[in-house]
Amino acid sequence: MYAQQQPNKTPFHEFQVGFNIIADLITPGTRVLDLGCGSGTLLQKLRDEKDVEGCGVELDQEKVIRCIERGIRIMTLDLDEGLGGFPDLSYEYVVLSRTLQQLMNPERVVREMLRVGSKSIITFPNFGHWKMALRYLITGRTPVSETHPHPWYNTPDIHRLTISDFRIFIRKLGGKIEKEIFIIKSSGVSDAFWANRRAEWGCFLISAA
Amino acid sequence: MTKGAIQEYADSDGLYGRVTTQYADFDGITLESGYFLGPLTVAFETYGTLSPNRDNAVLILHALSGDAHAAGIDQHGRHGWWDAMIGPGKGIDTDRYFVICSNCLGGCKGTTGPRSTNPETGKPYGRSFPRITIGDMVNVQAMLVKHLGIECLHSVVGGSMGGMQALEWAVSHPSAIRSAIVIAATARLSPQGIAFNWVGRNAIYSDPVNRETEGENQAKGPGRGLAVARMIGHITYLSQHTMEGKFGRKLALTDMNGNRYSLGENGKEGVEFEVESYLEHQGNTFMQRFDEDSYIVITKAIDLFDLEAIYGDLRKAFANVSARLMILSFSSDWLYPTEMSLPIVRALQAEKKDVSFVELDLPYGHDSFLVNAGMPYLTRIIRGFLNGVRPATTE
Repeated sequence: MYAQQQPNKTPFHEFQVGFNIIADLITPGTRVLDLGCGSGTLLQKLRDEKDVEGCGVELDQEKVIRCIERGIRIMTLDLDEGLGGFPDLSYEYVVLSRTLQQLMNPERVVREMLRVGSKSIITFPNFGHWKMALRYLITGRTPVSETHPHPWYNTPDIHRLTISDFRIFIRKLGGKIEKEIFIIKSSGVSDAFWANRRAEWGCFLISAA
Repeated sequence: MTKGAIQEYADSDGLYGRVTTQYADFDGITLESGYFLGPLTVAFETYGTLSPNRDNAVLILHALSGDAHAAGIDQHGRHGWWDAMIGPGKGIDTDRYFVICSNCLGGCKGTTGPRSTNPETGKPYGRSFPRITIGDMVNVQAMLVKHLGIECLHSVVGGSMGGMQALEWAVSHPSAIRSAIVIAATARLSPQGIAFNWVGRNAIYSDPVNRETEGENQAKGPGRGLAVARMIGHITYLSQHTMEGKFGRKLALTDMNGNRYSLGENGKEGVEFEVESYLEHQGNTFMQRFDEDSYIVITKAIDLFDLEAIYGDLRKAFANVSARLMILSFSSDWLYPTEMSLPIVRALQAEKKDVSFVELDLPYGHDSFLVNAGMPYLTRIIRGFLNGVRPATTE
């Protein structure tokens, strides 16, 4: 357990906003691979509402069992070891929701996503938010916030990336950003002034260029 | 508890109640080797009720030393070997499913095996029993299932050798199952596994009595080869963690039943560790309940199991699989470790089959699927998976 667990106030944390935004990006009847799928909430929603054929990847034993109890196809795999078993372009969508910042090797995983999925959807907390920068500037300490709720010394969020970082990262991988959605004050907008400084979360639809 | 209530998990409690082993007789079967083995008897038990559509049958596949008595209480008051999993409201719910378990071909618990009479000689086959394969065992199970009037099984569920059989079902009888749960198994036995089996068989071959009575099935003499084989097996089924926790370096003066234990005339050592006492007990019990020739025939079948060799590679083997598959491994299993489950998973993925893979982090070694401490996890997984498999009519 992580120290100083704060109540997750943002609706994004409570799945609804984030999941709705992801679900809206997905065409019904497609195959979706959800990396770090947790207990399968998103995949169940996609199955029930969009007739999606889903598969989840998760390492936490309790969450894996919850997925099975929900009738969701599941793989116990460590994402950082890649997606070796998944054939090229075997899924229409590969989803990495709120997990990118926790991976040991994000570059490897995102490359694998571009290989396995026709399209990939990645969401992550934006460390570039102005409040974060201000706190950092004023206090000189690593900020703790709703999007980054754990102190630096005990956190699963080992990478602190910004929306600008992510754009450059995808360009470097040779990927193409098809769509950007910014979660600002808990609602998703696709076009926003000064997004890198105002968005709490970023949601990107990308593909191999 | 009331009938129909869902049990979170259960220890073995014989909840299903009294059961009797039944027998089905067949003319015989042509083995994969071409040998015709007949007549053929299959010992089996069933629990629950077959639905009018005959679509709720689940076949349980036992491991090396198992038998048809998987659940409930038999006439000797014995609980079934997977009673903790099978019963009303349990992981494999007998209020919902028609559960079948049969003794495997080559066994010694009622199905035709080395103890059965060879019609050509009028004597038991003994060591002249033909070589059989996992595929033969599955073909016999398929005959039984058909005999029971079932065209398509809701699922086949097995661990260890039973897991090999579950895989074989998916590969060679693809249209006869809707799903399979493969627990702590492999598509090809490792050289390490073959080596342990070979040592076990060697212990049996070393019994002077049996060398002289080849082809017959005499009452067991002073040979203890089977007991030694079983002890070796038990070492491989447990993890270091289990052994440390269960026995440590404690000294034992009593056996598993609480009786004072002595090595008797063979006893040369004055001091005994608990782990020795445990193995001694397991070996002795096995001597009374198992047949050494069955042990030879079945371990040989396990050794020979190699889907890669038969089909060229695993992907080809799985090309026709249509069942939903659940592959389960245990992190502490060093006999059939996760690395041996992964090639199965990878090949099924490559063929775009509906496969789930779960590595359970349980410390009890290969036997994790049989020990009570593993039941809470396995119960939820098996119940959840079976629940997600839909009968053909609603697909």
